[in-house]
Order: sequence, then C-alpha cells, then structure tokens
Amino acid sequence: MADASGGRIRLTVLGGYLGSGKTTWLRHQLHLGRFGPVHVVVNEAAETSVDDILLTTASGLTLLAGGCCCCVGRQDLVTALRRLCDMRSRIISTDTRLDRIILETSGLADPGAIVAAIQGDAILVNHIVIDETIVVVDALHGLAQLQSEPLGRQQIGAADRLILSKSDVADPATLTILRATLRDLNPAAPQTGAILGQDVALNRLPPEMQAAPLPHLSNEDMRGPIIPACVTVGANMDWSLFAVWLSALLHARGNDLVRIKGVVRTPAGRLLLQTVRKVVQSPEILPNRADLGQDGKIVFIGRGFRPEDLQLSLDHFMEPTR
Amino acid sequence: MCNACGNPAVPGHWTDAGADTPGDRLRARFRRVALLNKILRPYGLSAHDDGMVPGIQLSTWSGNTTIVPDLGSLWADAERLIGCPIDPLDAEYLHG
Repeated sequence: MADASGGRIRLTVLGGYLGSGKTTWLRHQLHLGRFGPVHVVVNEAAETSVDDILLTTASGLTLLAGGCCCCVGRQDLVTALRRLCDMRSRIISTDTRLDRIILETSGLADPGAIVAAIQGDAILVNHIVIDETIVVVDALHGLAQLQSEPLGRQQIGAADRLILSKSDVADPATLTILRATLRDLNPAAPQTGAILGQDVALNRLPPEMQAAPLPHLSNEDMRGPIIPACVTVGANMDWSLFAVWLSALLHARGNDLVRIKGVVRTPAGRLLLQTVRKVVQSPEILPNRADLGQDGKIVFIGRGFRPEDLQLSLDHFMEPTR
Repeated sequence: MCNACGNPAVPGHWTDAGADTPGDRLRARFRRVALLNKILRPYGLSAHDDGMVPGIQLSTWSGNTTIVPDLGSLWADAERLIGCPIDPLDAEYLHG
C-alpha cells in the first residue's frame, strides 16, 4: 500500500458556508496550478449558477445546479462522478488520464454527508479515493455563523484543513477568538489564512486563548454540543485490537462521531486514520519523520459521550485480551 | 472483484490497512479472530477465521452461524444473533 489511492482518482472536497469564499480560493489555486490537471465539479443549491463562469482554468468542469448534493442532489452527484470514472476507464492507464477531481460543494452542504454518499456507492468506492476535505471559513462572519448555525459547526467538524478567508479585513481580536473556537471544534485541522485566494501566514495562536461560548441551538441534537476528545494509544499499540475496538465503536456511535483523526503506528508503517461519521476513509501510509510526537494521539469529535469514557472503553477492551 | 461471487465488493477494508505483506495480513487475521473470541465470549458468541475462506464466521453457542465480510459488518450481525446492542461506551460495560 505504498500509494493509498491504488490507481483510483483522488477527490478533494471543498466546503464552507454560503459566501465564505470557496470559489475565490479555488480560482486562485487553479490559476497557480496547485492541484495540477484537475476536473472541477461545482455544486450550487440554486438553479442559477455563477461559479462555473469563474472557474475556467480547470481542465474540465461539471456543474450540478438546482440541488445541494449532500441531500436532494445526491443522485445527480453520484451520476456525474460515475460518468467521469467511466470516461477515465476508457483510456489506457499508460496515457495521461484524469487523476484528480475537486468537488466544490454548495454553501449549504455537509461535507460529511457527501463523503458518506461517495463511499457508500459500490461503483464510486472502487474508482475514487477521498483525498482531503478543505473547509473555507469566513473570517468576518464565521463566528456569527458558528453561534447560530448548526450546519456551520458540522462543516468545521468535517474538515481536514481550514482556510480562513478575508483574514485581512477581519478585526485581529475577533479573528483570534474565531481561530480559538475553530481549534476547539476541530483541534486536528490546521488553519491557514487566505486573501482573495492567496495564502497568507497567520500569527501563532496562543494556547491559552479562550474560544467564544457557543449556545445550544434548538434544532441541534439534544444529546449536547459537539465536543472534542483525545485518546492516547501509545506508540506500540496493537493495531488489530484498536481496529476491533474502533469498528465496534463506529457501529454503535458512528452517527454521533462527527470526525476521528490521528496517526497510529502499525506493522505497515505510520497510518493516517480518519473517519467522518460511520465512514472510514482509506487509511494512508505516511512517510517516517523525525518528529513523531503526535503519533498515537487520536482526536474524536462528537457528542453523546463523556470524553474520558473513550479512553476507559479502549482500556476495558484491552483487559480480557491481556 | 471476482465475477462469480462478487468478493471483495470494495477495495480493502480499512481494518486491513495495518498489514502490508501477505504474511502480515494472515497474522493480522488470526490475531483479530483471537481478540474477537475473547471479547465476544461474554456475549455467548464465537468467531472463526481459517485464513482461507474470505470473511469471519460468527456463531452462537447453539450453532447459529453467519459469515460477515469484515469487522465493519460484524457488529450488526453479532447484535442480531444475541438480540441486544453492543456498545463500547455503554455505562454498564464501562463501570459495571
């Protein structure tokens, strides 16, 4: 498993709230050629689309308008992706063919639901591997959205990487509080800044910085807010045991576990493990590095459990097997 | 995927990711089934994997047996066989 994609197309999901700057960011990244030759799939919840006009530098573009592809437009998305896979399968593997797709979701989409839809499709799962979920956060309005919109919190929870757009116009103090709040909601996702799509460095976030209090929302789950927890498995963890435990945990609590992310040591090497709800993405083997400090620490983001119970449960699982 | 039996339906279950070589994979299968037997015994279940037949065989002590393709689907079948949920975060399991 040197290459986790195994000849499959790599798919990057680009999400973020309405107006957060997804298209602006993507447009600049395409201009810079960051993703190489790429096919862009744009989803817009509205019937009238604008984004496709802006993204002309992509190698190919598919527009899915008139339905958010995490819910009502899900079948359209699956059909469009199947068509791309089909077209690629007709080209022999030694020729240049499609290697990467970027899916720009609508601002109302839950990236977690999209990942689940793709991995739940018997055809797509054999052709597409989810590479990364990038979520763009509006530095100006992000905090207000997090305080009032459950969807905004779901999007943050599903992210592998957070891009703070409009970071130049936001008040520095507010930006720091927003970043601390994002760190609280998803400690595993690195944060970078962007101004009109151009990367900008963000100041170091002080560890003691307090997150903004997020109120309970009426249409949010009654089992409480989404909270992060960290489980330490140690460098010499038994992968088989951990896999048995995690599979049982995901079966019982998968819908409550918005996100799990961490690096674990296995006989095959350092494994990047990440899940979105019940869906586990193809674990990727990472190169060995000198700095292995974060290995064996796994972040769980979810609700309906006490953070300390996760470690207790894993320890309990180990007991009869000793 | 095999055209006759359709196995495996998806490329490599994530729980197999920790083993790279054929030897490691076989060792991981035996280790996993040994662990499962210790964990499932209190529930009146046993697991069997001979390393040849794809999947894990799951049986009750009265002989009711099913074959599950991977760990992801094992727990749903285990619950069906014993008739109650298995939850690693259940308070009784943790503190009982």
